[in-house]
Amino acid sequence: MKKIFLSSGLLFLMLGTVFLSAQTVMASGGSVIDRIHAADKPFDSMGIESAHHLPVKTVLAQESYQGGTFKVLARKDSITRFRCSVCHTDKKVLVSDGALFTHGDIVINHGRGNDRLACIECHDEKNRDFLSDAEGKQIDFDHSYQLCGQCHFRQKRDWLGGAHGKREAYWAGERVVRNCTSCHSPHSPAFETKMPATYSLPLDK
Amino acid sequence: MNSSGKKEDEMKVTDILEKKSTRRSFVKNLSIAAAAGSAGLVTGGCVSLGKSEEMGLKWEEYFKSNYRLMTQEEKDETVARLVRLAKIQNDADIQISNQEPRENVLYGYAFNISRCKGYMDCVEACVKENNLDRKAKTQYIRLFEMDSGQLDPTSGDGKYFHEVPVEGKFYMGVQCFHCENAPCIKACPTKATWREPDGIVVVDYDWCIGCRYCLAACPYWGRRFNWGEPEVPKEEMNTKQHYLGNRMRMKGVMEKCTFCVQRTRQGKLPACAEACPTGSRVFGNLLDPNSEIRYVLKNKKVFRFKEELGTDPKFWYFID
Ligand code: SF4
Ligand code: SF4
Repeated sequence: MKKIFLSSGLLFLMLGTVFLSAQTVMASGGSVIDRIHAADKPFDSMGIESAHHLPVKTVLAQESYQGGTFKVLARKDSITRFRCSVCHTDKKVLVSDGALFTHGDIVINHGRGNDRLACIECHDEKNRDFLSDAEGKQIDFDHSYQLCGQCHFRQKRDWLGGAHGKREAYWAGERVVRNCTSCHSPHSPAFETKMPATYSLPLDK
Repeated sequence: MNSSGKKEDEMKVTDILEKKSTRRSFVKNLSIAAAAGSAGLVTGGCVSLGKSEEMGLKWEEYFKSNYRLMTQEEKDETVARLVRLAKIQNDADIQISNQEPRENVLYGYAFNISRCKGYMDCVEACVKENNLDRKAKTQYIRLFEMDSGQLDPTSGDGKYFHEVPVEGKFYMGVQCFHCENAPCIKACPTKATWREPDGIVVVDYDWCIGCRYCLAACPYWGRRFNWGEPEVPKEEMNTKQHYLGNRMRMKGVMEKCTFCVQRTRQGKLPACAEACPTGSRVFGNLLDPNSEIRYVLKNKKVFRFKEELGTDPKFWYFID
């Protein structure tokens, strides 16, 4: 019985090897760089049906990507106390509620050195439901990249192109990318120091 | 091979088996008969039904060919057998896909060394996604903590475990680079490893004989060998599998990063790229001029590791 095992296995092995070598020779094309240069027609990634259903809320970006449209993750839904105008009215507030109403928990660690940003440098002074840029133009929270981009223009350029930030879940299908504030806390945008998720054993090579 | 059966004696063999028979199924039937005979001798015919089904499936599995030589029908059959075997042996409900590569797709990867913070969320996600052996702590991705100015991971620390990022250090991830001109493929004596048309370098785990030539040939620490039977707790197993990807491996076979073939052929990002909280990992179609990966290649300072070896990897490093 063992013999049948061995001899038949060996036979397949030899046949397979001969046949597969022939295939490899036929399949070899140019280098990656050559193939990239030759590929200038856009790929229809919408043809990949499985990439169409993202279970997250998105908005159409007010910018263009490679001449086309793209979407960013919506932001307003994840701001716990939005709409801000519910509290930010002319109504009087009790001192005992002060801690809750003054955002005492927010620490600003944004700006160079001791030159920390003040709230109203990003938040609109009159209408708290909006942000506003240096020229006073109101900016929707869902499109905060328009605000961040006025100082961080290099990052914004890279983000528009795809070298900064990241796509959500799919490489194919409609382009959906994370908003600046999906990853960075606007009040303290630098990434934190922390323990790594795991560690590695030495390689056996 | 000769199903037309022109010669007399061949006709006879066909007649005896009462059906058209290829050489492969002929040998297979013979050996099943032999097995049934010997099993009968040893156990006296007391094989339970479940056991005999399992044995039958394993026999069929033993005689399947290299994945690249299978017809679509044979691919579907082996997948069905593996799903059934997982149910019988581990009571696991898994799905195994044999989804083919897509046309006009060539996967590429770019890694931002000025953004990576060494958090290792990618490594963790990869282990879970790809059902990597928890016992031997197999990982496809290595992250090296490097001094600024270095560019060779061999001089970095690949075993760090402290708060990251450390001031003055940067982090460099290494995994299989899916070389277009891959030395591992050339080294394999059984053609158990090859490059798919979409650029992913895969292993047929059932065809690999475990000689580890490929591991020695790879200049990038891309390959992992199963010295023991891989162990994954049943409740942690990823049941969405691909034949060439994260299906359970066995003792004595080689495995490696497959760009998460089970995900990427569905349009998803690889698990590492999805898990990275810093956006250091860019993945996409190199043949699409509008893809993010093409933007990086065109607009950023990129380099490939050990480019001079001529392996033509599809994995680039870039800086902001
Ligand atoms: S990185 Fe190593 S394992 Fe991956 S394709 Fe290249 S030679 Fe093969
Ligand atoms: S270990 Fe397996 S894949 Fe690697 S060279 Fe040997 S047979 Fe080929």
